[in-house]
Amino acid sequence: MDIRLNEDQIEIARQARRFCENESPMEYVRAMFEDERGFTDDVWRKMVDMGWTALRIPEAYGGLDMDLMDLAVILEEMGRAMVPGPFFSNVLLAAEAVMEAGTEPQKERYLSRIATGETIGTLALHESDGGADPGYVQMGARPVGNGFVLNGTKLFVPDAHVADFLVCAARTESGEDPAEGITLFLVDPKAEGVSVSLLPTMDGTRKLCAVEFKDADVSADGVLGEPNKGWKPLSRVLRRAQVGLCAECIGGAQRAMEIATEYAKVRVQFDQPIGTFQAVKHRCAQIYVEVESARSILYWAAWAQDHGDIEEAALAASVAKAYCSEVYRNATASAIQVLGGTGFSWEHDIHLYLKRAQANEVALGDPAYHREQVAQLIAG
Amino acid sequence: MNVIVCLKQVPDTETQIKIAPDGKSIVTDDIKWVMNPYDEYGVEEALRLKEKFGGEVTVVSLGPKRVTESIRTALAMGADKGILISDDALEGSDSLATAKALAAAIKDLDYDLIFTGQRGVDDDMGVVGASLAEFLDVPQFSVIVKVEVAEDGKSVKAHRPVEGQVLVVESSLPALITTQKGLNEPRYATLPGIMKAKKKPFEEKTLADLGLDPAKVGEGGRKVKILELTPPPKRGEGKIIEGETPQEKAAELAKLLHEEAKVF
Repeated sequence: MDIRLNEDQIEIARQARRFCENESPMEYVRAMFEDERGFTDDVWRKMVDMGWTALRIPEAYGGLDMDLMDLAVILEEMGRAMVPGPFFSNVLLAAEAVMEAGTEPQKERYLSRIATGETIGTLALHESDGGADPGYVQMGARPVGNGFVLNGTKLFVPDAHVADFLVCAARTESGEDPAEGITLFLVDPKAEGVSVSLLPTMDGTRKLCAVEFKDADVSADGVLGEPNKGWKPLSRVLRRAQVGLCAECIGGAQRAMEIATEYAKVRVQFDQPIGTFQAVKHRCAQIYVEVESARSILYWAAWAQDHGDIEEAALAASVAKAYCSEVYRNATASAIQVLGGTGFSWEHDIHLYLKRAQANEVALGDPAYHREQVAQLIAG
Repeated sequence: MNVIVCLKQVPDTETQIKIAPDGKSIVTDDIKWVMNPYDEYGVEEALRLKEKFGGEVTVVSLGPKRVTESIRTALAMGADKGILISDDALEGSDSLATAKALAAAIKDLDYDLIFTGQRGVDDDMGVVGASLAEFLDVPQFSVIVKVEVAEDGKSVKAHRPVEGQVLVVESSLPALITTQKGLNEPRYATLPGIMKAKKKPFEEKTLADLGLDPAKVGEGGRKVKILELTPPPKRGEGKIIEGETPQEKAAELAKLLHEEAKVF
């Protein structure tokens, strides 16, 4: 296992840092926090032009066929700058779902257009009880003629309000094994019987939606992959997305650490910088220890998705998601403590990081869920 | 049209610079090194000319091995070839020796235009461009914000801001242009560009390769000696203007600007 960044990845990170600093400064992040759409075409187009939306897409569909590790390097920088918009839902959820489960015509139809930025997709998975296990997928899809009819509500669907298509997980059969009987559907969010509404959420930099299905028809070619066999490919998608989310967490945690330590060095109390006080410097050191440890786990998890076997990939993804998301939340919470009153003000950026950290912590399975996954994998 | 871009690697402007114990140099540990921002304008302009006229863009740099990273960035942006002049004897060279070494590496290349930054953002000398033009015996334009190469590719018009006006000068090619902010918006390197960069030709040259005498470069060959580096004076504390009404505050501010700050 080699988890050092190679020369290309170092250059990718350098360019991503420059892009994020120039194109997504905090003024942009704050504007998009308040903006209903949540991103601008200009910034989106520039990301597409850099090849970011094509990174994971196979060459046969106009992509670059690169590793998750390469994408993780970009996501780390995006998390550091808290770049808003549907990049994550499009590239890590929708595109990966089509790559994993799609038939050849479906891949041809969607992947090349994701690569060129012409289409944006997302994944509608969670329901009212919010769990990440297959048993929580209860929304039903009933076979009618050659197609299906969908009824029910999906919640916390990222960026559905700007999506051109949804990958929706619905139950088409019930049996003893909850992983069986789940079918993935390609749904047009503007189709009859489908309605999308923005949810009022804490982290305005990543919009979440409710998607309601009322007798929504999906034709036979709207079934992504095989009927009833959707969970297996979806679980692979979720693992990679969890690792992607961890990369964002590490970037954000790194920034929170920098904010805390920079402040500790310049804020003077009792004629000394507050960073010289034990209570403050130990807190800064603890953030550093956690962020560096979490980064190593992230790189292992990304490597395992690219090169490891299935067991290692699953284990590493859950270890990473349990730890990195907690580290991000701890780092932002500690940074607020170091900043004191300033950290509680709207004008300071740290609260934006805290909100993203809390949203990331529960997204795609919270730490308790992932610790349970780890327990099952190591202890049976 | 073949274009050469001279590139310097400098500390990132956000880096906190510390003066070394010798008082004449800076501490280089933990410095984040980047391409000189003015040179980035040169790379971008060269790429635009290549896109319009065809030809090749060659990046030439001088310094230790780490400079390869910045050359690689330029190659990832779209430049075709990289040359690094690297030799321990060059350590501590002044601008004149740097220009001499660059000229030695460039003189036998086939070029129509050379871009250098108008200055390096680290030591702010602004000497290399002019010296290089002199050594190569080509016309030189300084601090340029717009470049117009004639359709036949044989001459260039360069725009230089002067006291709120613009001076437009024209020359035959080859020529050397030093770049100023505003010339263009440098592109980001795309992922395909980054992947291709490592396969592009890259050469390292020593002083011996260039036929230069080590005694005339480096610390010993300096015409300009650095006697001492000092940090800029600490900025004084800000002052909050007191007063009951905006009029009172404005009057007090005007008084302080006149009597203390002496700005009018």
